Amino acid sequence: MNSRASMGIGIILVVLVIVLSQTIFTIHQVEQALVVQLGKPIRAFTDPGIHFKIPFIQEVFTFDRRLLVLDQESQEVLSSDKKNLKVDNYAQWRIEDPLKFYQTVRNEAGAESRLNDIVYSNLREVLGQFTMMEIVSGERLNLMKQIREQANIQTRQYGIELVDVRIKRTDLPPENSKAVYRRMQTERERQAKQYRAEGEEEAVKIRSQANREREVMLAEAYGTAQKLRGEGDATAAAIYGEAFQQDPRFYEFVRSLEAYRKAFVQGTTLVLEPDGFFRYFKGPSINPR
Amino acid sequence: MTWNSNGGGGPQRPWGQGPRPPQPPDMEKVYQMFRDKFGGSMDGKRFWPIAIGVVMVIWMFTGIYVVGPDEEGVVTRFGRYIESTIPGPHYHLPYPIEEVYKPKVTQVRRIEIGYRTRGRSAVDVAAESLMLTGDENIIDIDLSVQYRVNNAADSLFNVRNPPRDPSYVVRNVAETAIRQVIGRNSIDEALTIGKERIQANTLSTMQKILDDYKSGILIVAVQLQQVAPPEEVVHAFKDVASAREDRVRAINEAEGYANDILPKAKGEAAKQLQEAEGYKTAKVARAKGDVQRFLSLHKEYTRSPEVTVSRLYLETMEEVLLKTDKVVVDPRAGQGVLPYLPLDRLKENASPPQQPRKGGEP
Repeated sequence: MNSRASMGIGIILVVLVIVLSQTIFTIHQVEQALVVQLGKPIRAFTDPGIHFKIPFIQEVFTFDRRLLVLDQESQEVLSSDKKNLKVDNYAQWRIEDPLKFYQTVRNEAGAESRLNDIVYSNLREVLGQFTMMEIVSGERLNLMKQIREQANIQTRQYGIELVDVRIKRTDLPPENSKAVYRRMQTERERQAKQYRAEGEEEAVKIRSQANREREVMLAEAYGTAQKLRGEGDATAAAIYGEAFQQDPRFYEFVRSLEAYRKAFVQGTTLVLEPDGFFRYFKGPSINPR
Repeated sequence: MTWNSNGGGGPQRPWGQGPRPPQPPDMEKVYQMFRDKFGGSMDGKRFWPIAIGVVMVIWMFTGIYVVGPDEEGVVTRFGRYIESTIPGPHYHLPYPIEEVYKPKVTQVRRIEIGYRTRGRSAVDVAAESLMLTGDENIIDIDLSVQYRVNNAADSLFNVRNPPRDPSYVVRNVAETAIRQVIGRNSIDEALTIGKERIQANTLSTMQKILDDYKSGILIVAVQLQQVAPPEEVVHAFKDVASAREDRVRAINEAEGYANDILPKAKGEAAKQLQEAEGYKTAKVARAKGDVQRFLSLHKEYTRSPEVTVSRLYLETMEEVLLKTDKVVVDPRAGQGVLPYLPLDRLKENASPPQQPRKGGEP
């Protein structure tokens, strides 16, 4: 083998490698590809693995196969009850048909600007049919589905499938937020007042019941006490009566004497006739008058 | 044409850069090495097959790979997904036929919604944390979401995150889910008893969406870090709490009052009853005593009435007159003349004994 022959083999090998690399191409799991022949799309490959093409005159464009995210700027939307809502949403989409995709929007940047318009307009249209509270709470899932389906009809022509449209945030514009805050505040103030008043009510109830119980308790005690005293008085009267009845005149006498003793205290001036007690005062006589 | 040489317009690899192709052996060096070893005896005929054989063997060895305990191996052949492998040593056909990715699957990642931890303190992100509740109020919610990859191949091949933000999709889904859940709750529920349920619902909502995307991501936990009224109204909310306390306080005070006066009243009542009992008993006892005394005296009286009466009378009068000032006036002395008794003056100079004698004897 001379050097010329080996040189020839070397050249052939190099040419072979270049031709092979122009013929064989691989599509990764995350990709799909479009073969373009002199600027004219020929075939779409959505299957990952090894593939072949005609060298030099065919070119391969690859596109992502994964779910791609379109995060949109938030924007104001008018609900059916004429309330302004700032809606922030995102969409997940994928390139469904590389051929249409390449023909219509060419690349992801082109697709995104197209998608932006489509999703926005459908979002506006669908949200406009619902009231603010339906958007915020009840109908969220339903209307996101509706937006997606409606938008999908338009995106198909670009080889794009909208897999999911989600409303991320639904916020009120600042002035409406302020109104809500004011309302929340008054609501809470009302509640606070109610709590305090309830406390007052309960307290007054408790106090007055306690007062009532006290009054009743004291009155009942007074009543019972009076009854007891009365009983004592009665029993005493009965005892006195029974005893004094035996000789009322003598009782009267004795009792009168006791009364005198008590009634005439030191310093009393008595003006007396000189009889009775004083009958002996004028002279001794045993048998008076 | 290889996948990473087609310039702009093509997609990025799952992690921006693909697995690094093994460095091709430097042929010049190998050739030199063989030369040195075998001296001049080496000729072209024997050298090339040996060299190619050695290179082939080295090339084959580059297919050995080890999956770490926290990883899962994902093998692609000419870009197509072939298999997933568990931790341990494995072999794949060498590059460029087969490649392997080794994402970490046990590592739990964490994202923060509504706030960002900066060192030790947290910074609030109002746009993320303020949301509308089902009763048209606004609430401030911070939550953290923990997730991990539970299907390595899905996580690599199905959803693309923007470059340098592996949590982008999870974050979007989390924001959507929490608002969806909060949108169905009232502010009071969210602030008080509903937290557990909100966490659970957010987790399941997130998981469902991520499963729909075939993202290969498992939500491990959703934790509400803070649920609070917005700053603008927080004062009013706090006042409600203190009003609730005030209510309890007012009731406690009233109960304290009741607890104070009722036992006192009870004591007072008992005191009155005792006094009355005492009065009754005393009264009866006194009556009995009085009667006893009277009866005893009466007994003696019946024995000798005259004397007893006189004695009692006189004793009493004696005692009475001893204490009192006396003016004895004969009624006859006053006849015809206006009887005048200067009692006032008598009282003034309490002593003189002459004056009362005035009307003594005619």
